[in-house]
Amino acid sequence: MTLASSAAVAQLRMPHIVQRGGPAQRGPVAAPLLPGIDGLRADFMARTGSANVYFATGSAVIGAPARATLAAQAQWLLGHPEVVVRVEGYGDPLDTRDHALALGAARAQDVRDYLVLMGVPAAQLSAASFGKERPGPGRTVTVLVR
Amino acid sequence: MTALRFVIAAAALLTSAPALAQQQGATVVAVPPLSTPDDKPTSAGSTASLAWQASLLIASDLKSAPELMPIEPDQKDFYSYPEVTAPTYSKWRARHAKLLVTGFVQGRPDGRVTFGCYIYDVQKGREVDRSGFVAAPEEWRRAAHKCSGLAYKAATGAPGIFDTRIAYVAESGVGDARVRRLAIMDSDGFDHRFLTKGEAIVLTPRLSPKAARIAYVSFSTGTPQVRLLDVASGDQRPLLPGDAMTFAPRFSPDGSQIVFSMTIAGNSDIYIVGADGGAPRRLTTAPGIDTDASFSPDGSQILFESDRSGNQQLYIMNADGSNEHRVSFGTGAHAAAEWSPDGDRIAFTWSGGGALRIGVMNIDGSDERVLTGGPSDEGPSWAPSGRDIVFQRAVGRRRSLYRISLAGGEPQQIVTPQDASDPDWSGPMD
Repeated sequence: MTLASSAAVAQLRMPHIVQRGGPAQRGPVAAPLLPGIDGLRADFMARTGSANVYFATGSAVIGAPARATLAAQAQWLLGHPEVVVRVEGYGDPLDTRDHALALGAARAQDVRDYLVLMGVPAAQLSAASFGKERPGPGRTVTVLVR
Repeated sequence: MTALRFVIAAAALLTSAPALAQQQGATVVAVPPLSTPDDKPTSAGSTASLAWQASLLIASDLKSAPELMPIEPDQKDFYSYPEVTAPTYSKWRARHAKLLVTGFVQGRPDGRVTFGCYIYDVQKGREVDRSGFVAAPEEWRRAAHKCSGLAYKAATGAPGIFDTRIAYVAESGVGDARVRRLAIMDSDGFDHRFLTKGEAIVLTPRLSPKAARIAYVSFSTGTPQVRLLDVASGDQRPLLPGDAMTFAPRFSPDGSQIVFSMTIAGNSDIYIVGADGGAPRRLTTAPGIDTDASFSPDGSQILFESDRSGNQQLYIMNADGSNEHRVSFGTGAHAAAEWSPDGDRIAFTWSGGGALRIGVMNIDGSDERVLTGGPSDEGPSWAPSGRDIVFQRAVGRRRSLYRISLAGGEPQQIVTPQDASDPDWSGPMD
């Protein structure tokens, strides 16, 4: 998860940045947010401890340590309504190809639902699965800050 | 291609022959060099050269079949064109051949060539089969493969698989820079073509019954989605409109429908839709992950995997979704299954002891056997004969295709230009 590549992603996705509540702020956020995305990401990591949430093999159940991480992430996200997040789900490396895709999707959805439960606006979150197709951390959901 | 190069190739074949153990009960098939009425130039070499290359390929095909043992082409067994249909049986009886293959390559005025192929029962002294093919000279390999199929069928009763294609995913590069492209080739690795450019991750190509189309999964929209590709033109389109996650597609045996998996709100189930479009119909509703569906050869039932019991196991249901019942009960998990072409068996990926291996069993779950050693073998696909399986094997970071015969023996690697995964073996080409 190199910052350089994520910054490129952030640049492409500028129009998706969501404004929550508050008085009339329309349209894409002004340019100053873009150079700040690296800083935001660093701040996110510092305050939540981890962008990764781990699951037991073959499971999409959110365990106690995961809940603690997600609670911290939810709190950070509530404080940064201008940031859009993509939750990426991964399967297990020892899984078969299609089941890994499905499991990654189930994990990403469960994390997304949990964050929504904790008050994060649904529009701020999207979920995607990579199965075992990318060299990801495996068995985890990475909450990427964009 | 020069005749000299093929003499050298032939010598290599002959010196390797003694290394082969005599197989018990293997049918000896004589393959003397194919003839030509008149050595004429063609766009792929002279007819005599094509005849010689075809003879070598036929012998090579038959050698790859454990049921057969070819007597390889030798220039000293040259016969003239009239002898194609009047073989000297006594000569081959003396060499203990059971079957004899003769044939010819003839140039045509329109630039194409005619291949004739004749199979004889040496003991009984009579012809058992014949076939002729008109083809572009560049298609000589396909004609030779069809002739091999004729010999194989005469010996075993089963159709040969020499004229079949394998679709797969070609992989190159490392890590995030890994490039994946759909590719298709003859089952012996020749006539290889890339079908996509590698701009997006692609997975699990599945051929339609005559290998005219491929259903596959692409990440081009960021979400895994099934797309359809026309093999001849390269045109592709999404299977469904919208942005739902879809994957694990397979064609029905008549090519009219596609069964696939769709994930909604994190839940994956099996759906079916017309191959030319329409509204998908949902077939499974259980919680948990239902995926990797494949049809029975008569199209009336669907085999799939589900983890509803706690780990991945195999289930069969009617093609309308009714009568779901579990069929795998052995130890370990069973996934990624495909119904055999004869309808009797299932090939699957077995997961146990930290390894993935290829297994087969009857459709009722009996006679379960693990065929390969792993530790990272998955994604089996049946050859149309039901006697061979192609699968993907990972060793370290490398991935490649292997085929294994149910008659026994070690898996043999299929050579591909790059790394390879997700193979799908076509049906008979015509």
